[in-house]
Amino acid sequence: MSKFNQTRRDFLQNSALMAGGLAAGSMAGVLPAAADRSKELNILCWEGYNSAQVLDPFRTSTGATVRAESLTNDPTMINRLRAGETNIWDLINVNNPWARKVMNPEGLIKPIDKARFEPYFDKMLPAFKAPYKWAMDDAGDQLLGMAQRFGPYSFVVNTDKISRATAEDQGWDLWNDAANDKKYGVQASDDWNVFDLCCIAGFDPFREHTDEEVAKYTDAAKRVFKGARMVGDLATMNQALVSGEIDFYLTGGTYSCSPARADGNLNIRAITPLRGPFEGGKGGISWIEITSVVNNPDVSPLAEDFLEYVQSPEMSHTVAFAEGTFNPVTQMGNSACFDLFSKEELDVIQWDSLEEEMARSAEYDIVPDYDKLLDIMTAVKRETSGG
Amino acid sequence: MDRLAKIFRPGPRHAIPVMLFLLLGFVAPLVTVVMYSFVPSRTFDLWQDWNLDNYAEIFNSSSYIPFVWSLGLAAATVLILAVICYPVAFGITRVFGKYATFITLLFTLPLFVSENVRIYGWILFFIKNGVLLGSLKSMFGYEPESILFTTGLTLMGMVYVYLPFMLFPMTLGVSMVPQQTRDAAFDLGATRWQVFKEVDLPLAMPGIVIGFLLTFVLAVGAIAEAKVLGGQRIIPITQDIETAFTYAQNWPLGAALSVLLMLVVGTLVLVVLRRFDLDTILGKK
Repeated sequence: MSKFNQTRRDFLQNSALMAGGLAAGSMAGVLPAAADRSKELNILCWEGYNSAQVLDPFRTSTGATVRAESLTNDPTMINRLRAGETNIWDLINVNNPWARKVMNPEGLIKPIDKARFEPYFDKMLPAFKAPYKWAMDDAGDQLLGMAQRFGPYSFVVNTDKISRATAEDQGWDLWNDAANDKKYGVQASDDWNVFDLCCIAGFDPFREHTDEEVAKYTDAAKRVFKGARMVGDLATMNQALVSGEIDFYLTGGTYSCSPARADGNLNIRAITPLRGPFEGGKGGISWIEITSVVNNPDVSPLAEDFLEYVQSPEMSHTVAFAEGTFNPVTQMGNSACFDLFSKEELDVIQWDSLEEEMARSAEYDIVPDYDKLLDIMTAVKRETSGG
Repeated sequence: MDRLAKIFRPGPRHAIPVMLFLLLGFVAPLVTVVMYSFVPSRTFDLWQDWNLDNYAEIFNSSSYIPFVWSLGLAAATVLILAVICYPVAFGITRVFGKYATFITLLFTLPLFVSENVRIYGWILFFIKNGVLLGSLKSMFGYEPESILFTTGLTLMGMVYVYLPFMLFPMTLGVSMVPQQTRDAAFDLGATRWQVFKEVDLPLAMPGIVIGFLLTFVLAVGAIAEAKVLGGQRIIPITQDIETAFTYAQNWPLGAALSVLLMLVVGTLVLVVLRRFDLDTILGKK
């Protein structure tokens, strides 16, 4: 039997030495060696890009440590970069206006190699051909990121309760009809809720608003939150639709109702109104994700490699049907990618009406007076609390 | 010199790593939050002209509503749990005998499952055509209104989630009451009510107070119950803080709300601790 013959003093001294050594070792990792990021990649993204189906093949082929953190709203991700995390992340995946209108002007992202990536836009669906507006800077010279997932995002109905034709025809007025009180839910997605309340109030959210419009918006917010059966996440919304607790919900679209449709509930359907307050009478809103390289002073050389990796037909299909939600991808313009989608998968993402719904949708944009409108909505939610 | 020697005595010297750890891991984030609360609204730079605008904005808005909801629901949770947990704690200590361990285990097991999973489980139970209403409909043709997404269900969720945090300190408290003292009281002619009031309650008070405090502090910070089970019918203060830090991109406002919440809860806890001096009730004085 071995004998522990250290004195307490020896033990403490040795422990201190070991601790010091460990600390020095970890410091060494932080200081000069940290400069070598050739085998490390950090991605800040919406869910899907952080799934094992997407990341594992890249990890295997590069031997890199890939860390992906998924968040479910753009402002939080942008905030993380603003708060100094540009030295942590290599890629950021957010909705279309942020790269061009916010992150590039604020120096949070850097342009990508145009010669390397622009050819990929030529293989995308027609609406995304180069130079694709949301992937370019204001001057139209620099490529700021790659487009992949997209979709219409207005509201979702149970077509057993409200037919698609009725929902498309009534559009945002569904929320102006007092008879619908307690028949609908509101998916808690504050930025999109602000857009939708503007639409319900009858004006385009993506521009500065007059006092009169703000007053209408306040009334719409009060009416919508007072009449809502519940406010919750997309899982709760879909479950409530399927069970019959509610008949329709905002905010929603292919992205949010795809899990329910994939479960066989094809009566749960994303709707884009036939007409609405946007330029040209467009009724709905759509989103397109742009993935950009973060302006990290020590950016991983794998960042652009990953952007290219997810462009392949196979990986584009995987991204479209990664865990969580299911979405169309721009690469479906390439038959090598499109052919990978089964009929069931096309049904899940409502391929039958995708083109016309995108055509009827205004593209997600920055709301100039968002802070004011969000504060009003937050106050209304508080004040209708418990009512 | 004396002072230096005092600081470098073995005790304080060995406490340095722990103190550093606490300073970095506990004090530093709190100080940062407090500092952020004085920074101009919707900015991210800590080093600029500080002011009290965020606090003024809170006092000039309807922010008191979520404070009232959070404090009210936490207080209601504590009271309901006190009524539920005392008989169970008494049973575990004095009645259930050899089954006490098994029953304790039953109350402990849910803690091994994530709170969110359990709350979503309740959704499946209560939702229209779900476990409860679906069974009532198919077995008896009875189809009552769903009680999901109501304030009442939010409270039920909180009571359910925080039950172990009240039960276990209370069980400890009840077990601290010597059986001989109770027997002596009965022998001297005390009624059940008198024994409960004069013997059981005062002697079990350390556990009861700790249970109250623990449950209250946790319940004031509850958010998932109101968000999921309550369908946001009420907005707790934690949700307002979350909105400020996320969608509103207004860290200073979120920080000011957090500081106020800490102050309110801290003050309430201090008041209770002054009323029930833990050292006295634990018999250390």
